[in-house]
Amino acid sequence: MQRILIVEDSGTMRSLIASTLEELGEPVKVDEAENGFEALRLLPRVPYDLILTDINMPDINGLELVSFVKRDERYAGIPLVIVSTESSERDRDKGLELGADAYLVKPFDPDALRTLVVDLLGRSG
Amino acid sequence: MAARRKRSNSAASKAQSEFVPEAEEILERMRDDLGLLAETVDGDLNPETINGLFRSAHSLKGLSGMFGQEAMSELAHHLEDLLDRLRMGRAVLDRAGLALFDESVTMAATALEKIGDESEAAALAEGIADLIGRIEAWNAAPRAEAVPVVPELDVPPALLRALTEYEEHRLSDNLERGRGIYVIDADFEIASFEEGLHEIQSAIREVGEVLSTLPSPGGSLESHIRFSLLTATELDKGALVGRLDLADNAIQVARAPLGTAKTEASAPQGASASHDDGQTEAKAAAARAEPEIAEPGTLKSISDTVRVDIRKLDELMNLVGELAIQRSAVQQIASKLAMDPATHRIGTDLAKVHKTLERKLQELQSGVLEVRMVPLRQVFDKLTRVARRLRLDLEKEARLEIEGADTELDKLIVEELIDPLMHVIRNAFDHAIEPADEREAAGKPREGLIQIVASQRGNDVLITVSDDGRGIDAEKVRARAVEAGLVTAESDLTRSETLDLVFHPGLSTRDEVTETSGRGVGMDVVRSNIGALGGLVDISSEVGQGTTLTITLPITLAIIQALLVRVGEHRFAIPLNSIRETLLVEDSDLQRTDGRQLMNLRGEALPLCRLADEFDLDTPETGKSYAVVLGVGDARLGLLVDHLDGQQDTVIKPIQGPIASVRGIAGATEMGDKGAVLVLDVSALVEDVVRKGEVS
Repeated sequence: MQRILIVEDSGTMRSLIASTLEELGEPVKVDEAENGFEALRLLPRVPYDLILTDINMPDINGLELVSFVKRDERYAGIPLVIVSTESSERDRDKGLELGADAYLVKPFDPDALRTLVVDLLGRSG
Repeated sequence: MAARRKRSNSAASKAQSEFVPEAEEILERMRDDLGLLAETVDGDLNPETINGLFRSAHSLKGLSGMFGQEAMSELAHHLEDLLDRLRMGRAVLDRAGLALFDESVTMAATALEKIGDESEAAALAEGIADLIGRIEAWNAAPRAEAVPVVPELDVPPALLRALTEYEEHRLSDNLERGRGIYVIDADFEIASFEEGLHEIQSAIREVGEVLSTLPSPGGSLESHIRFSLLTATELDKGALVGRLDLADNAIQVARAPLGTAKTEASAPQGASASHDDGQTEAKAAAARAEPEIAEPGTLKSISDTVRVDIRKLDELMNLVGELAIQRSAVQQIASKLAMDPATHRIGTDLAKVHKTLERKLQELQSGVLEVRMVPLRQVFDKLTRVARRLRLDLEKEARLEIEGADTELDKLIVEELIDPLMHVIRNAFDHAIEPADEREAAGKPREGLIQIVASQRGNDVLITVSDDGRGIDAEKVRARAVEAGLVTAESDLTRSETLDLVFHPGLSTRDEVTETSGRGVGMDVVRSNIGALGGLVDISSEVGQGTTLTITLPITLAIIQALLVRVGEHRFAIPLNSIRETLLVEDSDLQRTDGRQLMNLRGEALPLCRLADEFDLDTPETGKSYAVVLGVGDARLGLLVDHLDGQQDTVIKPIQGPIASVRGIAGATEMGDKGAVLVLDVSALVEDVVRKGEVS
C-alpha cells in the first residue's frame, strides 16, 4: 500500500485530487491536509511515498513546506510534487530549486496527474 | 476494481457537490475583505487584506477552471492578475478599482447561482466579457514596475530561499520603509504548536508584519518543532523582546530599524498604521487623472452589504414584540366594539384595519428575524476542523459527515451552539468510535462514521449527531445510577428513561462510567447549554450499533408563540413549541398510583402535575380541568390548569428579584391589558415530575 499526502487548502480540490488518484487501480491511501500545519503533524507519523502540495496557502505556504521537507533528512527522500496554477510560475521554479521533484499546473488533466504519480511512486518504490 | 471505481465516482461527485459551496465561501470572504478595503481605500491598505483577496481570487480561478466554469475562471484570472499587481506594489487601488472588484464578486455570485441554466449562459458570458474589458481598461493605467531589492541581510539563507515572490516584495517594501527586520526562533511542543504559533504571530501583527514562517528540520527532540519567523517592525529589538515575552537570544537582528526606532510606548497598531509618501503621491496622481471618481461622497455605496451590531437587531426585535402586544389590544377593542350594536360598524372597520396591521406586522417580524438568521455552516465548518484535528491527534479512523449546513438559525443561538456540539463531537471521537481493529473484529468498516444532520421542522431546527460506534449499555448506566443513589434498584425505568440518566450531573461527570458506556463526560453541561437556548436534547442508543443525540432548537429566541392558561386568578404563559396537545379532563379520569397522579392517554400512562400545587395557588374545585400535554424530548407531562386563554405572541424577558430563582419560571412577558404574565420553564417542570417518579 502506497501512502500519499495532499496538502491543499481547498476542500474541493483535495477531493478532486484524491478521487483522481483512487482511480489508479493500485492500492494507494490518500491523506488530506488542509494546511501546512496538518502536514507537519502527519509527516512524523506516516511513512509517505509521495507528497502533493499547493503553494498558495495561509500560515505555512507550499514553498516553506518544500524547504522543510527537503532539508529534513527524515523526509528529504519523499518525492514531492507542486500543484499550482500557471500564475505562480516564479514560485514554482523556486520550489523546484528548493528540491521539489515535479510540478503540475492547475487546472490539471487527470491522466497527467495519474501518469506523474505512477512514475514517481515507481521511482521511490 | 468495481468497488474502487464506485468509490472514485462518489468521490468525484463529492468534489462536484463541494464546488459551489466552496466557491460561495470564497466570494463571501472576498466581500468581507472588500468591505475592509473600502474603509481604508483613501489611506494605507493593509497588505494582508490585499494578499487575502489575491489568494481568494487565485483559489476561485483554480476551482472554477477544474470544473469547466470557463467564464468565471477567466474573470477570477483577471482579478487575480490585478490583485497580484496591487500586492506587489505595481498598481494603486482607487475607488473605481474597488467598484470593479465589487461588481466582479457580485457577477461571480450570479454566475454561480446560474450554473446549469443554459438559457442565461449567453447573457452571463456577455456580462462577464464586458466586465473583463473594463477591468483590463482600468488595469492598463500606467504603473511603476518595482523590482524587489533584497540587500545583504543577516538572515539564514534557507529562509530567504523559501520566500515566495510576494514575500520577497513585502521584505523589500519593509526595508525601503526603514523597518527593522528580525528572525524570531520559537520552539513548541508538537501537540500544541498551532496555538503557540498563532499566539506569537498575532502578537507580531500588532506591531508589524510576519513575512515568512519556516519550520526548521530535524530537531533532536521528536516531540518538539521549531519555527523561524521572518518579521518586520518599527520596534527596536529591546521593545520587540518585551512585546513578545521571549528570551533575548530568540530574536536575531537582520537589520535594525533605520532613523528613529520606535520604542514600546510609540509602537504603531499594525503595519498599516504607518504612511508611505510614495504611495500617497501616486494615489494623488490617480485622483488628478480621474477627478469625477476620486471625489468621495459622490459615488454610490460600493458595497451592498452592511454590518450591524446584533444588539441593534435585538432592540428592533423587542420593538416588534411590543407592537405585537399592542396589536392584540387593538384586536380586542375591535371585537368589543363589533359586539355592541351601537358601535358595530366602527368595530368591523377597525377589525379590517387590524387584519392589515396584523399581516404587515408579521412581515416586519419575519423580516427582522430573517436578518438575524445565519446558516449553521459557520458552526459546522468549525466542527469539521475540530474533527480533522481529532482524527490526527487520536489517530482514530473516523470521518465526519455533515448534511443541512444551509439550515438557518438565529445568530445568537448559532454562536452558543459551538461549545456543546464541539463537546459532543469530541466525545464521539474519544469514546464512542472504537479502535479500527476492534471495529473490524465486530464486522464493521474500519473507519467510523459520525454524522451531523440539520433540518428545519416548522418553528424548530433539528440537529442529530449520530455515530456508528459502540453504543451505550443501558444496564451499566442503570447500575451506576443505582450506585450513585440517583435511582433505586427497584425503579421501573423504561430504556429511554435509563439512557436519559447520562445527562444527570451525578452520572455524566464520572468518566469511569462513561468510558464504558460510550459517551463521555459533561453531558449534563451539554443539556443545560442547549436548555438555556430553549432547546431539548434526547438520546437513543443501541449497544454495538451506535448512539444518536437529537437536539431540537427554536429558530429564534426573540419572539415565541405561547398558550395563555389560568389557575384561579393567576395567568401563565407556556411556550407553544413544547405543547403537544390540550385535553379537557374530568376529575374521574385521574388516577393516583404510588403517590404519582396519572391519567390514561390513548393507552399510555401520562404523569400529571397540578400547576396550582406546584406554586401553592388557591383554586376553586370545579371537578374538571384542562390538561396541557407538555413534551420535552420523549418525556411527557400533563399540566393541569383551570382555563385555556388562547395563543399569543410573546417576548420573554428575564425577571429580577426573588422570583427569578423560583424553579419552573423561565421569565415574564408583557400582555398588554393583562399586565405581566409569568412564562413557565417547561423543561424544569417536566424534569422534576419525571425524576420524582423515578425515586418514588
